[in-house]
Amino acid sequence: MANKKSNFQLVANGILQENPIFKLALSMCPAVGISTTVMNGVMLGIAVLFVQVFSSVTISLLKDFIHPRIRIPTYTLTIATWVTVIDLSLAAYFPAAYAQMGIFVKIIVAFAIITMRLEMFASKEPITASFWDGIGMGLGFLVGMVAIGFIRELLGSGAILGHDVLGFKPLLFFILPSAGFFVVGLMMGFFNWIETYYARRKRGEA
Amino acid sequence: MKMMLTIIFRLTVSCLIAGTIMGATFIFTNKAKKVNEFAREEKVVYSLLGYSTANPIPESMGMHEVFRYVVTEGDSQTIGYLVPLGAHGSDAGFSFVRINLEGEYVDNTDIALTADSVRDLGDRNAAIAAAFGDGKDIRFADQTIIVTDHGQRTAYLLSGKFPGFKTHIAIILALDPGYSIIGFEVMEHEEDPGLGAEIEQDYFKNQFKYKPFEKIKTLEVVKAPIPDDYFDALEGRIDEAAAIDVMKQYRDQDIYALTGATISSVAVSSGIKGMSKKFAYRLDILDKVLQEQQIAVPF
Repeated sequence: MANKKSNFQLVANGILQENPIFKLALSMCPAVGISTTVMNGVMLGIAVLFVQVFSSVTISLLKDFIHPRIRIPTYTLTIATWVTVIDLSLAAYFPAAYAQMGIFVKIIVAFAIITMRLEMFASKEPITASFWDGIGMGLGFLVGMVAIGFIRELLGSGAILGHDVLGFKPLLFFILPSAGFFVVGLMMGFFNWIETYYARRKRGEA
Repeated sequence: MKMMLTIIFRLTVSCLIAGTIMGATFIFTNKAKKVNEFAREEKVVYSLLGYSTANPIPESMGMHEVFRYVVTEGDSQTIGYLVPLGAHGSDAGFSFVRINLEGEYVDNTDIALTADSVRDLGDRNAAIAAAFGDGKDIRFADQTIIVTDHGQRTAYLLSGKFPGFKTHIAIILALDPGYSIIGFEVMEHEEDPGLGAEIEQDYFKNQFKYKPFEKIKTLEVVKAPIPDDYFDALEGRIDEAAAIDVMKQYRDQDIYALTGATISSVAVSSGIKGMSKKFAYRLDILDKVLQEQQIAVPF
């Protein structure tokens, strides 16, 4: 299956049309559980971006050698290997970054979005396309996490990036796990509404 | 059948390759990681004691490490303490003092170790095993640093590990000579970011600061929001003198749980409770034995 999109379209695709959180509805656990602050979103987003790109390229490189019956275990192995390598290298050479990000890197192994992207894209497409798709998906996840984190941090703790902006805490509910579902659901609806709106306008209905 | 064999073979090969890559990375990075960890530990220890690179530790202060071992010989168990000998700075070697479970002195063996080699777990275990010979199972349990200034004890530093919400939480706890808390620092944990991971935040950690030992013995966690004035004081948003006043008011209160992370909060507070209580009990026994046997230690 040849891919007809340009590199830019691949990146944009990951952020908009196929945003991992709002459109594909994958990796909802971290989206709901960890998105309590903007900073958490940024950290997890960067971690996912790196692992996604490395794993996509690896699988795209090795796609001809992977037996179709064991592809899923192979993907998991690849992700686990990259997570371990990134985790260990961060701990050894970037201790300051590790203190911030270490905890996020370790939980990535079980992320659905990465496995799914390897299965849907990297195992069929050439290396460059997989690389840009990985970047797009990683950025899409980052953007989604930051958007959710922004709403939850602002409404839950009245702050952005830890800086008090409102001066009071509007609703504690927003930093509790259950609020994650509400925020993600509402934003999903919002994304879909925009898409439908533009699709209609294109057809000249609205 | 052939398909199964292919699958088994390929999976094994994939696992081996992945394992090799991970192993190689581990070997390459382990040394640098250990150096980082040690540097971090040292920094944490200094900051807990109120020192930094700009305000270094004075010469008169000594950090004396005491290692606790569990010695099993057949059915009987004894506790072994590896303690330094002589006055501060004399480097007079180490002694392995054994105490039985009733708190009575058993025996005392000199161990050939230097101030440098005692830090390495492998060297230390080998030296102790060499001094005792076979037939005993000697296991390292934990280590404590006793800080002295001009020969007077000023603080105890305990490193400990206890179960958190997910895996273990490792902390370094600083106690004053009366076993009240000076402070603690989380070294390692895997709690959820945004929830349990908040145990690293000042507004949680500082709640333990200056809690008296009498209170720690019965420390509980309450599920209530932190009062605003207390929160500001804990986060250091008001000036220091005022913050200390506010914290004094709450000194005999229980710990306010983290929102959405009661289990992690309880884990830390009961972990600290257990560590200080056990340490106080053990150190009293060790002190008594050292005094009775006239073993000269620098602390």
